[in-house]
This record gives sequence, structure tokens and C-alpha cells, in this order.
Amino acid sequence: MAKPFGDLRERLLRAGIAPRHVRRYLAELSEHLADLTAEEERAGRSRADAESRALARLGTTDELAQAIIARREFLSWSASAPWALFTLAPLCMAAAYFVAAFYLWCGWNLFLPGADTPFGAAPLDGLANFYFQAGKFYYYCAPLLVGWGIALVAGRQRLKALWPLAGLALVAWMGGTAQIQTSRETIARTAHVGIHWFFLGLPGQNAFGSLAHILAIFTLTALPWLIWRSRFHPIFRLLR
Amino acid sequence: MNGVPELLILRLLRDEEMYGYEIVQAIRSQTDAVIAVGEGVVYPVLHGLEREGALRSRRKAVNGRSRIYYSLTKGGLRRLEGLSETWTTLAAAIQTVLRGAQYGEAIR
Repeated sequence: MAKPFGDLRERLLRAGIAPRHVRRYLAELSEHLADLTAEEERAGRSRADAESRALARLGTTDELAQAIIARREFLSWSASAPWALFTLAPLCMAAAYFVAAFYLWCGWNLFLPGADTPFGAAPLDGLANFYFQAGKFYYYCAPLLVGWGIALVAGRQRLKALWPLAGLALVAWMGGTAQIQTSRETIARTAHVGIHWFFLGLPGQNAFGSLAHILAIFTLTALPWLIWRSRFHPIFRLLR
Repeated sequence: MNGVPELLILRLLRDEEMYGYEIVQAIRSQTDAVIAVGEGVVYPVLHGLEREGALRSRRKAVNGRSRIYYSLTKGGLRRLEGLSETWTTLAAAIQTVLRGAQYGEAIR
């Protein structure tokens, strides 16, 4: 992207313009600038002179920013309703855990049809072992994936920290306290898989373990975003 | 100037599809540079009209460069007719006031 549009890009994102509109606007401005520069060069001006005249004809950063900021239809959903990210967090987590529970239920019925529980019921090998290990990996990674997704949206749209952090805290709590519970009916032999959340783990369980898990998820998801975000802080900009 | 860029853009695109730079140059030449704004501000207007269904866009490669061409939709044509009528009426009313005809005629 041409250097003059770097500031414009930041300004538009911070004003809440949806990234896809910013991308398209800047792409068309870059094309327009190239056309204007070529026109000025054809008029006999030097490259540097042509570029500076082309920029002046295109408009100042203020004019270009105001032209799109003034139109509210280009605002991103998260700028119009920043709290939505907080609401999105539990929905994404619930969806991710639903997939995990369904995956476990399928594996249980497929590889351990007679077992009372899918956990350590019988020694597994080959495909069954791979299947359950992959599921376990997904189950533990789900909060991180959802958290990074939320941090990515917050970063792309330059959101203020409050709601994304609240969302990440909720994701961390859900990830740190979720418990999978399985049961099989005695007569019908139907398998059931459910996920439950407790304030700090199962009653009677070590709360410190759950708390450490919550903190680990929160740190792994929030910290990369906060570090990336800090580069826009005036102090860091001055140091550069 | 509210509504003027929309009107000019819709009128220009009625006859042929154009990309942003062409539109701005056409406005400049057809208005003898009377209407001159920062050229880049035409894009939010184009994007807004596209969102409202008055324009459609397509990407086209010309001389090795990819450009976004805009053209008028049926809804855009109806909007152009409405805007043209409003502006013609408004311009006539303003001309009348500037000539002072109504006031002069009224006190005679």
C-alpha cells in the first residue's frame, strides 16, 4: 500500500469502518493515485512533482477520512455494538464444545459400542487411538482457538480493550471449568455426552487447578493481542 | 451541494460504465471544473450508491491493470429520474427568486 494511506487506514479502522470497506476504499484510492500521477507526468512534470500534485488532487487525509466516516452504513457491526463480541464469546464456545461432544459421542459408538464410558474403557490402538487423541487435542485447543478468533476480530477492527477482554475472560472461564460427563442407559444402552460448567470446577475438586487453567487460557489468548495492540500506543510510536 | 455528486455520477453512468478516475475526469470536464472536490471522496459516494442498489460494480483488467467499473441498475435509473426532476424544479425556483420575478410581479 502506498505510504500516504497508512495513516488513513489506521484512522478509518479506529473510527469503526469495517475492514472490508477500508480495504476496497484504499485499493481504489491507490489506483486513482497512480492514474493521477501518470496524468501529471504526461503533462511534463518530474516524478516527485507529479506524485505530490496527484496527492493534493486526491484530497487530504482529513477529507478522505471524513468522506467515509460520515456515512454510518460503512461501520462494522462490532463498532456499532462493541458488546456483541462479549455475547459472541459464549456462543462460539458453546458451538465448539458441541462439536467436541458430538465427536466424542460418534467415536464412542463407533469404536467402543459396548463400553460404559469412552474414557479409558479399553486399550485403544491404530485409528481409534488417533481418533480419540485428535478429539482430546481439539477439546483442549477449542478455548484458545475461540479466544484467538475474538482477539483477531478485535485487532482487525482496532476495538477498545474493554469488551474483547471481557469476552476473553468469559472464554477462559468456560474453557477452564468445562467438564465432560458421559453416561450410558442401563436398559436401552443409549450413550449420552454432556458438557457442564461449574463456578470453579466440580464441587469438591481442587479450585486452584481450575483457576490456573482459566489464567493460562486468558494469558495465552489476551497477551498476544495486548502486545500487538501496544504498538499503537503513543509512547511506543514515539520510541520508533 | 447535498445530492449533487450522486446526481452527476448517476447521470454519467447512465450512458456507459466507468471507473472512479474516469468519473471524476468526466465531472471535471463537463462542469468546466466548477465542481471540484478532493477526487478521492467520490469513492464513498460510489460505494454508498452500490449498497443502496443504484449501481453495480465489476472488476475488469484493462492494459494490465485491474479496475472496478460501475454501471447503473434499474433502481439507479429510477433514482436518477427522481433526482433530476427534483433538481430541475429546484433550479427553476432558485432562478425565479434570483431574477426577482415573483416579488416584482406580486407588488405590481
